[in-house]
Parts: sequence; C-alpha cells; structure tokens
Amino acid sequence: MSVAQVVRVFALTGILSIGGGRAAFFYEALVARRRWMRVDEFLQDFTLAQLLPGATFSNLSITLGHRLAGVAGALGGLAAVVVPGGVVLVVLAALYLTRGLTPEVTTLMRGMSASVVGLVAVTTLRMARPALASARAIAIAAATFTAVGPLKLNTPAVIVVMTAIGLWLNRPEPARPPQGGPGQ
Amino acid sequence: MSDLLLMTWTFLWLSLLCVGGGLGVIPEMQRQVVANHQWVTAREFVDGYTLAQLTPGPTMLVVAFVGYRVHGVLGAVLATVAMFLPTSVIVVLVAEQWQRLRAHRWAAAAERALLPIGIGLSTAGVYTLARSALHDVTTVVLALAAGLVLYHGRVPAMLVVVVGGVAGWFLT
Repeated sequence: MSVAQVVRVFALTGILSIGGGRAAFFYEALVARRRWMRVDEFLQDFTLAQLLPGATFSNLSITLGHRLAGVAGALGGLAAVVVPGGVVLVVLAALYLTRGLTPEVTTLMRGMSASVVGLVAVTTLRMARPALASARAIAIAAATFTAVGPLKLNTPAVIVVMTAIGLWLNRPEPARPPQGGPGQ
Repeated sequence: MSDLLLMTWTFLWLSLLCVGGGLGVIPEMQRQVVANHQWVTAREFVDGYTLAQLTPGPTMLVVAFVGYRVHGVLGAVLATVAMFLPTSVIVVLVAEQWQRLRAHRWAAAAERALLPIGIGLSTAGVYTLARSALHDVTTVVLALAAGLVLYHGRVPAMLVVVVGGVAGWFLT
C-alpha cells in the first residue's frame, strides 16, 4: 500500500465522517469496501486507538495508517483527517465570531448544541455497552464519572487513581510459578 | 506571546488526558479554557464543540476554535498541533511495538482497566456539555428527541443536529 493511496482514502473518509461513531466510516472504507485489512486487524487497531491518550478518531487514523504503510502512512493518514477539518473549522469559527452572535444564529446554535448533547449521549451509550460487562467495570466508570463530572475533581489525579485501582482489580494471575519457587 | 505559549502548553497536557477518546477531556478542558484562563465563554465553548461536530474529522478540533478565538490563525494552528502531535507520536511508537506488547499479560489488564475509565470520563463529558447547552424545556426536549432518533434510526447525525437547530429556532 503506498502512502499516497493511504492519504487519498483517509482524506476522503475523514471528509465524509461527520457526527458520532466516526470509526464506523473507517470500517466501511477499509474493511468492507476495499478489503485492505481483516475485521480482527481493524478491531485490534481500534482498541489500541482507544487505549492510548488522544482523540480516538485521529489515533485510529494513525494505527490504521501504520498497519497499511508504516510510519509514513501513519503520519500521512493523520494529516489527511486533521487538516481538512481544521481548515473548515477555522472558517466556521471566523464566521461565528465576526457575525455569528446575531439573535437568529444564537437561537440556531442553541438548538444545534442541544441536539449535539443527544448525539454524544447516544455515542457514549453505544461504547459503554461492550465495555461495561462486569459490576467492577460499572463501578469504575461510575466512580470516574462522579469524580470528574459533578464533583469537579482534578482530572489527571482521577485518571491516575482510577487507573491504579483498575489495574489492581484486573491484575493478571501470577504466571504459574514453579512449585515452591521463589515469590509465592 | 506568553499567553500563546500558555495556551499551547494547556492543550498539550489536556491531550494526554484523552483516555477513551476526546469527549472525556471536555470537563477539564472547559474548566481550563472557560473558568481558569477565560479564553472563551461557556456559551462559546459549547458552540465551538457543536461546530466541531458539524466539521469533518476529529471533534477535538474544537481546540482550533478556541485557539482561533484567542490568537487568530496562529492560535488555531498551534492549538491543533499541541492537541494532535504529541499523542500521535506516542501512538506511532506504541503501534511499532504493539504486536509484541499485546501478548504481554498486563496488556489485557490495561485494556480492562482503561475502557471503563474512558466511559466514565466520556459520560462526564456528556454531563459537562449538557450543563452548558440545556437550560430550558425546549433544549432538554431537543436533546432527548435527537438522542431517541439517533438511537433508533439510521439517520445521519449531521442531519439530526441541523434539524434540531432549525426546530429550536422555530420553537423559541
């Protein structure tokens, strides 16, 4: 796979992807339509994109680009999904800030941002169902939400503490030590 | 100048907090850009997030909106680079090693530990946006209606958001 092909397809996918659940657009473009990778490869890259810090959609463009065309494919894929949207958003920001805050636009934005709340709620709900498979997972998610949302605690501190608790609760079984060996 | 650097630095460390996706960092981002540094108002922030939803590419491009609001095009570029470049380098480095790392016993533990935290953070992001965007019966009804339509139907999200805007315009 050449880097140019990756950039072209990723740019097209990025431009078409609007609204929640944007990863689905990549699935459609790379797995369903072009068969550039298998489903399990895609899911592996998606999991990695979610686990590592950063916006999932841009992380996904990197993990997928990396699989298809190495480091150059990763960076080209990233630029292809970030740059067009960035340009559009600056134009929208300029329009909004120079003449946007007329009463008409204000009411339009109020309705749109209210709908966006519905959109992000549904997207989060869809992600939550597979991820919250155990009571433990639900408790961790609920505690994180309460700390960062209503209690407004410091997010970095909450992430550090909850990650430590989460890792401890999910710690792997000790790798079958030789019987009577050192370390339990 | 120093404010430009401060803004760039702020988005850089915020980018490292995006666990389980960008939505999870919205509560802390709003605290920083609205309450702490007063780069945008709460209304502008939620409007910027809405415009980012209507824009192709990652929604975290909302940082370009904030950057543009404070420091023009240069601010938008620096905010975008700060938000996407450092985390991207991390992802490339890990992706290089991932075939080896994912076999490690702690990789599965990390996945089980981090995914619920990401959900909790994202839910807090929904909560933060709701507190800014929903302030009367009309906006609450619009949010519920948009959620129901998107949950049950296969309607493009962008269409739902735009129709919601027009509906809000008529209802107000």
